[in-house]
Amino acid sequence: MSSKKIRIAAVSFLNARPITYGLERSCDAANDDRFELSFDLPSRCAERLAAGEIDLGLVPTAAYATSAHELRIVPGIAIAGFGSVRTVLLVGEVPWTEMREIALDGASRSSAMLLQLLCRERGLEPRFREVPHAQVLDAVRGTTGALVIGDAGFAAATRFPHVQDLGAAWHETTGLPFVYAVWAGRPDVVDGEAVARLQASLDDGLAARPLIARAWSEAHGGDPALYESYLTHSIRYRLGAEELSGMAAFFARAHGAGLIPRAIRPRLFEGAAPTSALANRSRGGMEGPRSVDALLADAAAGGRLSPEDAMRVYLEAPALELGAAADQRRQMLHPDGVVTYIIDRNVNYTNVCVTRCKFCNFYRPPTHKTEGYVLSRDELARKFQETVDLGGVQILLQGGLNPNLPLTWYEDLFRWMKASFPLAIHGLSPEEVRYIAEIENMSIRAVVERLIAAGLDSIPGGGAEILDDEIRHAISPLKCTTDTWLEVMRQAHALGLRTTATMVFGFGEEPRHLVGHLEKLRALQDQTAGFTAFICWPFQAEGTRLKLHDDTTAMRYLRIFALSRLYLDNFPGLQVSWPTMGPEVGQVGLRFGGNDFGSAMIEENVVSQAGAVFKLGAADIERYIRAAGFEPRRRNMRYERLAAA
Amino acid sequence: MTATLTSIREKARSGEPLSLEDGVALYRHPNLLEVGALANEVRERLHGDRTFFNRNLHINATNVCEASCAFCSFARLQPGDAGAYTMSLEEAWGKLRARIDGGDPITEIHIVNGLHPGLPFDYYTDLLSGLKRIQPGIHLKAFTAVEIFYFAKKFGLSIEEVLQKLRAAGLDSLPGGGAEIFAPRVRKKICDDKCTADEWLEVHRVAHRIGLRSNCTMLYGHIESVEERVDHMLRLRALQDETGGFQTFIPLAFHPDGNALMKLPGPTGVEDLRTYAVARLLLHNIPHLKAYWIMLGVKTAQTALWFGADDLDGTVQEEKIYHMAGAETPQVMRPAEIVRIIVNAGRAPVERDTLYNVLAEGAALTSDKPFRRDVRRSLEVVS
Ligand code: SF4
Ligand code: SF4
Repeated sequence: MSSKKIRIAAVSFLNARPITYGLERSCDAANDDRFELSFDLPSRCAERLAAGEIDLGLVPTAAYATSAHELRIVPGIAIAGFGSVRTVLLVGEVPWTEMREIALDGASRSSAMLLQLLCRERGLEPRFREVPHAQVLDAVRGTTGALVIGDAGFAAATRFPHVQDLGAAWHETTGLPFVYAVWAGRPDVVDGEAVARLQASLDDGLAARPLIARAWSEAHGGDPALYESYLTHSIRYRLGAEELSGMAAFFARAHGAGLIPRAIRPRLFEGAAPTSALANRSRGGMEGPRSVDALLADAAAGGRLSPEDAMRVYLEAPALELGAAADQRRQMLHPDGVVTYIIDRNVNYTNVCVTRCKFCNFYRPPTHKTEGYVLSRDELARKFQETVDLGGVQILLQGGLNPNLPLTWYEDLFRWMKASFPLAIHGLSPEEVRYIAEIENMSIRAVVERLIAAGLDSIPGGGAEILDDEIRHAISPLKCTTDTWLEVMRQAHALGLRTTATMVFGFGEEPRHLVGHLEKLRALQDQTAGFTAFICWPFQAEGTRLKLHDDTTAMRYLRIFALSRLYLDNFPGLQVSWPTMGPEVGQVGLRFGGNDFGSAMIEENVVSQAGAVFKLGAADIERYIRAAGFEPRRRNMRYERLAAA
Repeated sequence: MTATLTSIREKARSGEPLSLEDGVALYRHPNLLEVGALANEVRERLHGDRTFFNRNLHINATNVCEASCAFCSFARLQPGDAGAYTMSLEEAWGKLRARIDGGDPITEIHIVNGLHPGLPFDYYTDLLSGLKRIQPGIHLKAFTAVEIFYFAKKFGLSIEEVLQKLRAAGLDSLPGGGAEIFAPRVRKKICDDKCTADEWLEVHRVAHRIGLRSNCTMLYGHIESVEERVDHMLRLRALQDETGGFQTFIPLAFHPDGNALMKLPGPTGVEDLRTYAVARLLLHNIPHLKAYWIMLGVKTAQTALWFGADDLDGTVQEEKIYHMAGAETPQVMRPAEIVRIIVNAGRAPVERDTLYNVLAEGAALTSDKPFRRDVRRSLEVVS
């Protein structure tokens, strides 16, 4: 990075104050040698970025989606809301459905696009009229409503008979947060040091929220307590995995509604490994060892467990106390008591594989005369059509490492799938991606880029087993190393793909291996926020060549599952594995930290040939979820909730 | 923790009996793990980590039954009906011989049958005495209260006479089956042909009075209400206060396949665990709570060891009643497997006899470590 100053434009609205708080002070205090800070309206920030007048801007997500340039996002920072935000309101004298015209505040791009999107999805077609910021409220009369943003929302909330919080409306529809604005710039302008400064600025600002609220009230009038509660409870400043899912869902839906030309993916600056806000919360080594009770209470409240603490918790905590802590943590992360599930289908496109993992009874070597297969287009088409007919939204597409299938085979397949079926492609585990790169002699990144261009939507986290090379070598010597597995995921996340992560235990590993696995996932997630969910299950030994005699019982599963919920504090979702554990234990897992019941259809040869025989339809899944005290909802791969079919 | 749960905890700690309202509140409490933890506290106070099992064999000598209970997939009305069977005495005795010859000895036989209209009383006494001849020390836990009551009526004897005659032939204790749900509303719908709640309780009262121990059960997860479950347990508790003769309570999850209640879904895992926890808290005077793995499934049964249960039943062989109703569990577990499941749950296995005398525990059971930790050594590949 050159020593050239980074020109930054930020916004001076109340909800942006915490983000720039630290920057302002350092840029003011000394002639800062890295940053040059100015303030503007959000829409202007985007325009100036496009014009090359600045390098980095706090821009509305809508502007990010429509920018002609390829923009990158600073990891870890956003202005977002989870549910009601109180400053993005649709107000009127008549209900939303009766509005014929809606006045829009020209200063806000994201909220305006969100409103348009929500209208279209509800089949409403009001006229939209842009008016200056100061005149928005005056426009409200009869069937003309107005979209009020910013501080005006506080006053407007009680002035009109009909008030709809758009943040809440988005959350009700999707179950995800909505991201209003992010730091964005062109790919090469920001380095790791700059990201660290921006994050430090936010950290200072978050700590100074009472001061910010008081200063704002002195300058603009109003109740400082209201401002403080707004900054503390209504706005989320973290850009974590859920927020990225929220952005991706917004772009996909806006594209579906014809509001933006492409469904782009939010992409982060790379090589900028931030220390996440969460990482900072981990305790220093000053205190003496703490009781397991204290560790559990801390983790249940969202505190970060160190690897050593995690081992103690795993080995010493009584089962139900561990479960209760995980349940409490789940409750914090998913307070509305919803448990999601997906309708998808596992399709194993080929069983030809060169890897010969000892635990796998699914593969056939390329030399096998009769039993190797590659599914034909006809067979695939039948499976895909059945999936669509049953309400499925996604195909989990995995297979062996087949030396006869070049990258173009996958590209053709994906293009054909996308053109013919309304299904998302959740496909090719890191192992398969790595193998394609190997036989094509290409970089992993180049392979992922081409697969994305052909239609790949997300990558499943399979093949992780235990991310420890000693164990990996013993059970699947030809499989990719820990680093390669993580690297594929890192590249996929960098290119804007979301992925899941898995862990298979019961290979005779020790607690330190399990915790090490979780630590590697958590560390990568701190940097990329690209994982949507974590799934673990015990190795299914029946019918395979591995005889391990390890503990794969229900209690061990539940302990590891609960520990994972506590340890993976930056993972939004934890999926129970009913296909391997059975629906009863899967259901109990919902009380040990789980918030997702997985998939309603199963055709997973790798597991089912090893003796897992459970099958559940959507109605059964909903029954299990309800009996556990939760409300079932269908979702897609982004964990975006879908309307029931 | 809610105020209700706190007050229930205080009662549980001081040994004060819980009320019907308490039981219902425990069923309705939203946090399953809080209820479980409370039950676990009681369980650990009574038994610590000890978890009991025995080596046993099931004999269901006939499935011909005059009654037509709606939940029953096992019974056939007439001897000639499809699937109907009645073992000859030799056949029934052969089950025990096979077990002995197979080098797989047992300490208990659990015998439960249909209400066969044609078998003479001798059949039953001969069945018992024959088994005792083969293995004099074997414990015979035989005939539910429903069968005893049926014998009394059919053979014109008093309950006590029936029990005394059977005891003379070798009967050692009574199993707890046939209780179902005591509420008349439910009995009328699911087992109208069976003895009433009072008759069931009377059989156990008499058994306890003449010195026989027994178990008790509850069949849940069909048409009964939560209040009816609690009421059922409280009636058992009242008899226990009177006699002290119950050893173990065994909640039985309804299995829907192949019976007249097929349209009902049956209880799910969290409902099973909840029932175990509530039972442990309500039945403070019944020492043991059995997670019957045959019907719960091994995984849920293991989990139940943290929700109040302290007993996994036995190694069992030849279970018919639940398997004809769709249970997919294996029909037998080796002692080493049961030990492994208990150890893996973080509990201490104890092999018992039917009356809970300890036969083996500690190193005697766990010395051959059930699994190894060395990765490389454990990778024995059979290919
Ligand atoms: S687990 Fe996957 S990589 Fe390993 S042999 Fe089976 S198909 Fe091949
Ligand atoms: S439950 Fe018992 S009494 Fe009822 S039909 Fe079945 S075998 Fe007969």
